[in-house]
Amino acid sequence: MSYGLSIFKTDGTLGFSTADVTWQTLAQFTVAANATVANTYSEAAGMTVIAQRQLVNVPPASQEDYIPNVVISNNSQTITVSPQSGLSSSQCIIHVLAQDA
Amino acid sequence: MAYGFEAKNDSGNVIINDTIENLHFLGKATRGSADSGHGTITGYGGSNSTLDGRVIHTYTVTSSGTPVAFIKPADYSRWHGIIKQSVSGTTWTFEVMISGTSTSNPPEVYCFVNADDVPTSSETHGMLVFKSDGTTKTFDSRRQPLAITGGANVVPPSDPTNSSGTPGTTSGHSWNYATNDHDFRSSSQYTAYTDSNINTSNTMFACPSMAQACYKRQMHGYKESCGFLGCCCQDHYSTAAWWVMYRSAFRLRSGYFDAGWTGYAGGYSFSSSYESGGWFGGGGGSYSSGTMPYTAKTINLQSNAYIIADSSRYD
Repeated sequence: MSYGLSIFKTDGTLGFSTADVTWQTLAQFTVAANATVANTYSEAAGMTVIAQRQLVNVPPASQEDYIPNVVISNNSQTITVSPQSGLSSSQCIIHVLAQDA
Repeated sequence: MAYGFEAKNDSGNVIINDTIENLHFLGKATRGSADSGHGTITGYGGSNSTLDGRVIHTYTVTSSGTPVAFIKPADYSRWHGIIKQSVSGTTWTFEVMISGTSTSNPPEVYCFVNADDVPTSSETHGMLVFKSDGTTKTFDSRRQPLAITGGANVVPPSDPTNSSGTPGTTSGHSWNYATNDHDFRSSSQYTAYTDSNINTSNTMFACPSMAQACYKRQMHGYKESCGFLGCCCQDHYSTAAWWVMYRSAFRLRSGYFDAGWTGYAGGYSFSSSYESGGWFGGGGGSYSSGTMPYTAKTINLQSNAYIIADSSRYD
C-alpha cells in the first residue's frame, strides 16, 4: 500500500492492515422484545451502512420468534429497529457496519 | 479534525478513527457437544426420504461484552449457520448447524468484541486510540483488531426445497397411499453473491441464521367399499404427510458467498380410518402415527448482513 497503517504480530506476520479493511463496526446494541429504538450516529453521515441481526435466547425451532425490522435513514445516520408490522418481535442483537464512501 | 486519530486506506476511506469502535479478537469459543441426525425423514422409509442431514455443534465463550461470532469452516463444501445465540451471566453459547451428518471436521468459532470489552493486554508497546471522552477505546493494536475484508446484504431463495414449487396438499389418492413425491433436500436451493475476497482456505464469516421455513407435503386417500348392488358402503380415509423444518445457512466458495438452507428436522405422520358396517357388518377402526409439531410457514425471510475476515490473522 502507498499509505495507511499495518500492524504485525510478534511472529512478524500481518495482523491488521488498513489496506484490506472494507467495513467498520459503527455500533452494536441489543433491542428488547417488542421495542422500537432509533439511534443516530452523526459520524456515519454519507457512509454505506448495513446491519446484522441475531436473535438472543430464542430456540432454533420456534416459529413465533420474529426478527425486528431495521431501517437506515437520514443520510445513513439513523438506525431504526421496530417490530414487523402486526407481529411481536423478539430480543435481538443489532450489529451496525459502516463503509466510508 | 481538531484532534484525534484517523487512518485511511489507499482509496482514502477512513478505516480507524476516534469515533467508531473497532472489534477486537476475544478468542476462539470452546466446542462442546454435537447432535447429529435427520439424514432421512424420521419415521418414513419410502421414496424421497433422503434429507441433507445436519449436525449442531455447541460452543461457549465468556465475555462481559456482546461477541460477534465468525464461523471458520473446516469443510467448505458444507452449509453453516448460527441458529442460536444465548447468554447466561457472561457465558455466551452458540449453536452452529452444519449440513451433513458427520461430526468430523467441526468448524471453529472466532469471537470479537469492542475494544473496551476485550481483556487488557500486558504488552507495553502498541497503539491505542480513544474517543474524545478520553476513556473509551476505539482501537488497540495489542488486541488483534478485526479487519473486515468483505460484506453485503444477503437473503436465501424463498423455496428451500430442491423440487420445484411448493409442496401442497392433494386429494384423490388411493386409500393408505403414502409415497412422497417431493424432494425436501436443499442442496441446489441457494442464491450466490459474488465476493472476490472469499477463499476456501482461511476465510471466515459472520452471518446469523435468521430465516426459518417449514414445508409440508400432504396426501389424502380415499376408498369406498360397497357390497352387492352398491349396498352398505363403507368410507375409508387416509392422510400421509411429510414435513421438514429449515433454517437459513451459508456456504463459502472461492469468489462467492452462497445464501441457502439446511434442514433442521423432518418427520412423517400417517393416519387411516375406516367405517363400520358394510355387507358383512364389519367393525370400524383407525390408526395413526407421528405428528407435525410445526405449522407450514416461512418467517424472518429478510436480508441480513454478512461479513468476512481472514482467520489466519487470529491464529
